[in-house]
Amino acid sequence: MDRTLCKRLLAGSVALLLATGAALPAFLYPPMVEDDKKEEQEAEEEEDQDKYFAVVGGDVFTGTGGVLRGVTVLSKNGVIEEIGNNVYLPEGTETLDAAGLRVYPGLVALNASTDVTRGLFSAEIKEPKREDILTHLNETLERVIHGHTETPDDGYAEEEDDWEDLDLQAQVAVGGTSKFNDSFDPFSPFMTLALASGITTAEQSGAAVKLKRGEIGDVVMNERNIVSFSWSTQNPSGIRSLREKFKVTREYLALYRAWEARGDKEEKEPAKRGVDTGALRVLQNQALARFRSNDREDLMGIAHFAQENGFRPVIDGCREGWTVADELGRAGAYAILTARDRSPKRETLVRDGGSNIQNAAILHEHGVQVAVKASVGSIESMGISGRDLLHLTVEAAFAVRGGLSNSAALSAITTVPARILGVSERIGSVEVGKDCDLIVTDGDVLHYQSFVQFAVVAGRLVYDKEEELYFAHIRPRPAKPAVAEEVEGVEEDEEGHEEADQEESGSEENDSEEGDEKGEEDKDED
Amino acid sequence: MTMIPKAFGLIALLVLPLHASTSSGDLLAIRVGKAETISNGTLEHVVILVEDGKIVIIGEDLPIERGIPILDRPDWIAMPGLVSAHTRVGLERSRASSFTPQVTPLREIYPRRDEWMELLELGVTTLGVVPEGNSGVPGQAIAIRPHGDTVEEMLVKEGVYLKVNMQSSSSAKKIIRDAFAKVDKHDKAVEKEHAKWEKAKEKSKKKSSRRSKSKKDDEDKKEEEAKKDEKKPEAKAVSKTFVPPTPTPAVKTFIDLREGRLNAMMSIRKAGDYLHLLDLMKAEESVNYYLRVPLRTDIDLYEVAEELGEHEALVVLNAVITLQAHSRRERNIPAELARAGVSVALTPERDRLGSYEEWMNDVGHLVSRGLDRDTALAAVTLQAARALGLDERLGSLDAGKDANIVFWNGDPLEPASSIQAVMLEGNFVIGEVD
Repeated sequence: MDRTLCKRLLAGSVALLLATGAALPAFLYPPMVEDDKKEEQEAEEEEDQDKYFAVVGGDVFTGTGGVLRGVTVLSKNGVIEEIGNNVYLPEGTETLDAAGLRVYPGLVALNASTDVTRGLFSAEIKEPKREDILTHLNETLERVIHGHTETPDDGYAEEEDDWEDLDLQAQVAVGGTSKFNDSFDPFSPFMTLALASGITTAEQSGAAVKLKRGEIGDVVMNERNIVSFSWSTQNPSGIRSLREKFKVTREYLALYRAWEARGDKEEKEPAKRGVDTGALRVLQNQALARFRSNDREDLMGIAHFAQENGFRPVIDGCREGWTVADELGRAGAYAILTARDRSPKRETLVRDGGSNIQNAAILHEHGVQVAVKASVGSIESMGISGRDLLHLTVEAAFAVRGGLSNSAALSAITTVPARILGVSERIGSVEVGKDCDLIVTDGDVLHYQSFVQFAVVAGRLVYDKEEELYFAHIRPRPAKPAVAEEVEGVEEDEEGHEEADQEESGSEENDSEEGDEKGEEDKDED
Repeated sequence: MTMIPKAFGLIALLVLPLHASTSSGDLLAIRVGKAETISNGTLEHVVILVEDGKIVIIGEDLPIERGIPILDRPDWIAMPGLVSAHTRVGLERSRASSFTPQVTPLREIYPRRDEWMELLELGVTTLGVVPEGNSGVPGQAIAIRPHGDTVEEMLVKEGVYLKVNMQSSSSAKKIIRDAFAKVDKHDKAVEKEHAKWEKAKEKSKKKSSRRSKSKKDDEDKKEEEAKKDEKKPEAKAVSKTFVPPTPTPAVKTFIDLREGRLNAMMSIRKAGDYLHLLDLMKAEESVNYYLRVPLRTDIDLYEVAEELGEHEALVVLNAVITLQAHSRRERNIPAELARAGVSVALTPERDRLGSYEEWMNDVGHLVSRGLDRDTALAAVTLQAARALGLDERLGSLDAGKDANIVFWNGDPLEPASSIQAVMLEGNFVIGEVD
């Protein structure tokens, strides 16, 4: 509607801009001729700088429930500008043909190793020993969990002669700039692998870092959204001091709010002494409190503690969460878990316990926001162990095996982690106004057989399976899939139902259909 | 090792008479089969006329005046002496981090060491020696000739470039930012002092004008001035020219850098570092810098080939074929960069004597894998000399340049070829001549 009217009103290049919405004011207030010219000039100037990128014709799984068949996603300067069927593409738009493919929001990897963005050395050097994985899995987990502060072995011990090849080990944030920005390696092979796995945002020690390839600017989106606390029944004094911390902070906040309400300019601000800044930020809703806990008692304690203090806890681990899912749901908790966690219950206890593949499903059912992370945050043995960063989607798929819905499993690696990192207004779903971080896959993203064909970060194509050496040789992309026509047929049928598709039930239906298709394909191959 | 004393003996015998002849201003004409001039490509039937340590003229089939001694070697191929732009061969290495921009490795140089003679035998006539330390700002490099009895005799040029280790980390960036911040601070201090001085000057002018008005005797004046001088010899007497406060040596180095008197050699370790460096140096556009990138397996420098080309960078690399990360795919980074328009200088694969022995072979290997031959020869001569700021004097066979010439019995890049003689500034330091 808008577009046709506009086209009538304004000619030529101004119309180009209209698709971008920048000239909307001109449309709302019928312009004078001079204004028109000005607009035109401005439009030209703007277009010189603006960078458009469009993913054309893919089935967009928006991540908020809806599936839009065969639509175009247009981004302007890295932000999604328009999603729809007849999107007008401004001149100079770079396009990516995604016909017959699926478009998902870029995945968000929690607990990723800092090698992903720092990537000083290649994966082989960083590879931990095999025993670590097999016999000391828990230790490995612990190491990975706390491993961010460890300085990695630079792997140059054997090359004594390379006196130039030494890194400054100190990676300290200085003078307000983020250390993640300063140490960002835009050519890290780890990053390429992460992108190949569909990951476009990685958590690096609490910071949400966008995996921009070939660029160094503006990669840290938020690095202050997580405050870590510990809660363990093994350490009662720790719990006591944590309670005390929050009590003091609560009291201070009460005083502060009263002072603020009085608005007396002469009165001094209440003293901040003894107030824990982390707790303060949590209670002021500026940050989330993260606990690393697995045991039922701890989870219960955290749930109660969070409710007493009025914040929503993020629970990393949450192995026995399924036994107290209702409590966690009431506390509005976030859970970060690995679906393939295997750990027996403690036999000395009568109660339920241990790991459960249904964990994610049960927690989700009770209103817990479930995020799935890879059990190991690094990339090891080039992924053959199957539980590292390259297998984030597989991990989420195991949650589906445990009963989680497809859409909730997708949320568990997109929107929920984005919320946990405090960047949900920018990433996690395909919506107008959000960053254009997309992945294009050749099938259901949770299916083990699917490959990420393209990854787009901030409106730039940063990964093309055929161009990179990692997976290009496996099932190479056909020149132009014959299936494309069929898909177009489907698209026409469903065009009218777009709105209805927005509902979650719709998307699940679609998912199951696609799943069936996949199954058939499998049979064919057999 | 046993051959070194022998070599010494040889040189003592051979060089001295030649030395005497050339230093007296006598001409020497050298006729060789071919010459890799670097600046003018390959010439054949070449005559090189040398006088006072310089090349007087070089050309194909030049007539030689009667009376000029001729060295006739039709089977020799001449090329400029090799220049290593970045080395610490034979010196101690440390991994220490430091910020000592004023330091040079001059004190570490000991003349008459075996290594120098061996380097000469390998055709290396100029070395850019860097100060030790591979993080922070370890200091300034010096250019030396591996020949001479004293350090002074060996020294070609001091302060050829400031070595800066730049990595993508907050701390490495901070070191560089802080250094320039100190220069800013110093500049402000200078401005302040200058303003003070101007004021003082005006005051003293007023005073003197008053004095002249009061018509005092010249004698009185003289007496007064004498008294003044006695009382405050320096403190309050306003100097006629403004003497700015002297900066600390470290700050001075960075002032030189900013004002173009000194170049920087930025040592980076991966492609990403270059983007960070560009970002960092945006604020310091006047600084001229070259790049040093030690090539190691898996290095991803090809990722920034275009950017390097756009900035017309001069990059000092070691002559080695690398592998692409996570693969066995070979990358000829010197060739890739050269194709992108980057000036490439090549050093031996590793910074030790054994690697210098293989230097030309390694370069030949790069050529066989796609590096342009002329580019390769320039990379070990003229481009390296450029990195040392000595391209006016060294690096090619041109009239007016130092007569640093290496004579081969075949193509320098062929493993079978060997060096027949080495001329250093007009003197044959290696090889049996006559």
